[in-house]
Amino acid sequence: MKILVCVKRVVDSNVRVRVMQDNSDVDIALSKMSLNPFDENAIEEAIRLKELGLTQEVVAISIGGDKCEDTLRTALARGCDRGILVETLVSHEPINIAKILTSVVKLEQPDLVLLGKQAIDDDSNQVAQMLAGKLNLPQATFASKLRLSDNKLEVTREVDGGIQNILVSLPAIVSVDLSINEPRFIKLPQLMQVKKR
Amino acid sequence: MKVLVISNTINGRINSNLSNILSAANNLAECCDVFLIGKLIQDSLPNYKCINNVEHYPIDDSLNHALIVAPLISNRILDYSHVLVAADSYGKDLLPRIAGSLYLSQVSEVSEIISPNIFKRAIYAGNILAEIESYEATKLLTIRVANFPSYTSLAANINYKQLNSEVVNDIRTKILFESISNVDTVDINTAEVIVSGGSALLSKDNFDHLIGSLAFQLSGAVGASRAAVESGFATNDCQIGQTGRIVAPKVYIAVGISGAVQHIAGMKNSQVVIAINSDINAPIFEYADYGMVGDLFTVIPELINKLSNN
Repeated sequence: MKILVCVKRVVDSNVRVRVMQDNSDVDIALSKMSLNPFDENAIEEAIRLKELGLTQEVVAISIGGDKCEDTLRTALARGCDRGILVETLVSHEPINIAKILTSVVKLEQPDLVLLGKQAIDDDSNQVAQMLAGKLNLPQATFASKLRLSDNKLEVTREVDGGIQNILVSLPAIVSVDLSINEPRFIKLPQLMQVKKR
Repeated sequence: MKVLVISNTINGRINSNLSNILSAANNLAECCDVFLIGKLIQDSLPNYKCINNVEHYPIDDSLNHALIVAPLISNRILDYSHVLVAADSYGKDLLPRIAGSLYLSQVSEVSEIISPNIFKRAIYAGNILAEIESYEATKLLTIRVANFPSYTSLAANINYKQLNSEVVNDIRTKILFESISNVDTVDINTAEVIVSGGSALLSKDNFDHLIGSLAFQLSGAVGASRAAVESGFATNDCQIGQTGRIVAPKVYIAVGISGAVQHIAGMKNSQVVIAINSDINAPIFEYADYGMVGDLFTVIPELINKLSNN
């Protein structure tokens, strides 16, 4: 069993983002960048499944400029086994991210793809569903709990007015909510170690 | 311009935000078509004046999820110039899946329709408003319900088409159970008054007792900050903010909420904001029209008492 976790490099949630003077875009050239918080939860969930012995390999993927390597190294420090960087020169709309991920999923053949439900920069909340639609795979969005057994995944979803439990067969695409877990704290030596990988 | 609105049923009733989506659609065209997905038990079909045709897909609740609904309607999507759904948990689950299968882009959480191809939406936790221009022949939009008023004009009759198209079950997804909180309480999306509590309430008992009673006295809905939800004081569906609900009631009362930017993103369009907090430096006061510095454990009981005496 293999899990693919999709991670995005975004402006740190504590940075107050400013608009460029001509209003053409946001000015983030000098901003501190971090791993998207929702994706941290996705990584944590994948690592927990691995610690339970339910998955053998956790692969992290990021799409963007070469700086995304930092994001992938953070994912490795958190316990991912391998990182894939798809380098692009420009930033892409969710539909194109989903298209790139479709190719990666076809290559890697994961049993489960985990993503954060949204990125804190554009707040689009699209990629997981688009990927599932493109691949015609079952989807479970806004997940707050996962239980995996016998090639089936029971997912608790946060929906308007309450919760919904669904059972999806694998392979499947799952987007996670912040409530799914509390990502662990990574120690500096772990972060230093992965610099060499 | 050919506009389609997709809506769903919840417990046999039409999703109450349909009227808001219709008023958003009204910015694009005088009339639109509606696809209504799900069984109707307690409501009859909508007869709003702006609806051309209603196509009703009366599929069972147990099958009303994106894996089944997306293929059911996606071949009809390209007939339209605009497709609008609510940015609620149903719409946010469904529309991007359709977008992905048709390889179309989508504009999420539209708060204003500027022209047929330019849309306004919040980014960076609502700190920045972006204008997005879409070049797609079919524009897929999820609509931030709180930013559009209810459409109210009714027509004498409706063009109604019931579609008994064969729904093929897909065993790859099965709904096991659903627990939707009491529908008799005031709907937070349409409430005129929202009373929200934060982590300063210290316990679920305090939260229910103080925030719940105050909301009840004001016939309002209960909201919560993320901190309060994570501490288990309130359920997830009450959460207001960037990752929860975006609301715009007439009156928003923030009790013991410091006002993190993520929370502000969810309530800053409220008409009147009243903040009650013991910390005079709490950022919520920057957004409040009326602020009260005080201990909520004395202020709120007093307020409830005064209200119940009137």
